[in-house]
Amino acid sequence: MSHAEFIPLAERKRLRVTEIKKHNLANILTHWFNVAMWALLLPTGLAILASPRLGIVPELWQTLMRNVFGGTANLIEFHYSVGLVWMAVLTFNILLGFRKYFIPFTRERMFLDADDIEWLKVKPLQMIGLAKAKRLPPQDVYNAGQKLYMYMVIVGTLTIGLTGLIMTFHKLIPWPWLIQWSLPIHFSAVGMVVAGLIIHVYMGAVFPEEKEAFFSMFTGKVSAWYARRHHAKWYWRKMEEEMDWEDRVLAEGRALKADESAAD
Amino acid sequence: MAQKNRYGFVIDVARCIDCRACLVACRVENEVSLPHTRIWVKDQGLRGTFPDLAREFVPYNCMHCEHPPCIEVCTSGATFKDPDNGLVLVDQEACIGCGLCVEACPYDARYLDPTRGVVDKCTGCVHRVERGEEPACVATCLGGARMFGDFNDPTSEVSQALARATQVRQLVTDEVDPDPNIYYLNGDVMQTGLLPRLPRYTTAETLWRGVAIPAVIAGITLSFLGQAVAFTKQLIEGEQEFEE
Repeated sequence: MSHAEFIPLAERKRLRVTEIKKHNLANILTHWFNVAMWALLLPTGLAILASPRLGIVPELWQTLMRNVFGGTANLIEFHYSVGLVWMAVLTFNILLGFRKYFIPFTRERMFLDADDIEWLKVKPLQMIGLAKAKRLPPQDVYNAGQKLYMYMVIVGTLTIGLTGLIMTFHKLIPWPWLIQWSLPIHFSAVGMVVAGLIIHVYMGAVFPEEKEAFFSMFTGKVSAWYARRHHAKWYWRKMEEEMDWEDRVLAEGRALKADESAAD
Repeated sequence: MAQKNRYGFVIDVARCIDCRACLVACRVENEVSLPHTRIWVKDQGLRGTFPDLAREFVPYNCMHCEHPPCIEVCTSGATFKDPDNGLVLVDQEACIGCGLCVEACPYDARYLDPTRGVVDKCTGCVHRVERGEEPACVATCLGGARMFGDFNDPTSEVSQALARATQVRQLVTDEVDPDPNIYYLNGDVMQTGLLPRLPRYTTAETLWRGVAIPAVIAGITLSFLGQAVAFTKQLIEGEQEFEE
């Protein structure tokens, strides 16, 4: 932690038991739906790549998957079908939740601000052991690294989806060159996301500082302690909102009391 | 997997009269739609000067090579060498219609069927062979120019024909030799238009192999090493974050 602050023990204990909602149900379901789709698509997609000239997938894996699915055609059909379900559900979710979830999520959580840019300048240096004394700027609900990964996933998913649809409906495509180019583009987009995914899984499931982030993908909640230490900008905005709410309630209460006194 | 049989053709060029009954038989047997064809009879034209003239008609189709470049390049494994009979076949249900094999085939013996979006080629009439029959083109050949059988069986017609032959040619060059399973007898077939070209690989495939795959492997390796270093550090230093 590079923006450590002194917090008395009693306050720390209170923060630890106070929960703040980080993810709504739509976020959680979309996340785990994506996990399930990747778990089905990545192993089957790799197994399809049988060309000895490419030489990237062990023959054992190709044979295993073909035996499990009963041949190459079934394996490809399964990959196509799951890919179509993935794209259909994502599109449906985005359209259905466009105003309620998609627009607010994009507006409030996705854009990089000045603090994020500064974080991106400092954090890589600190990761290689430099600029240790420099303070990391406070981060919002997602830190700048998470936002960059989010961009990568969005670009990757769009690319994978588009090229996947081209290959799935290859019988309707009159230009073989389009299918020929879709193959390496699809592969590269998957590779790009997987490279990021390794870090994402480590940071989310193994890295001790981010353990709460992992559990928040089930419960939707993080402790106030975690929020304050890792996402200070977001935490203090939440506190402001809470205080505003309290002020409003107090003001309403006072107005009610004044009305009652006047009536008496 | 060891190949049980090695089916292929022997073609006696001297016996071909260019009647093209084989083309019709193939089209009917395999429902090949016009303007495509799975087999050809290549007319090499008149050669020499009168009175020493020569003209050859060369029956031609997929060579069912032992080392086929089309299999090497096939993305999904839809093109394969049948382990039972050695024929090079296309599982059209598994073909993704990329056409990389069409470019790679040194004999231009494949085509991409635009109406079905899959690759098509000579199958050696494998459905007939499995029933113990000859391919349609062989069964219908009037002059007996086309022969078909198992080269691994010394009693087969093709093995016997090869044993008797005085001149046997495979369509190969010093640069391109995928060990084709069509043997030509009695004719000058080593001519332009019949000899194989170098396999062609598309720019997309070349970049995939040369750039995309190394880049993805490098990215994933770096990413993996990065988290491995962090994890090792975590194991050595302990989980300090949540220790009071």
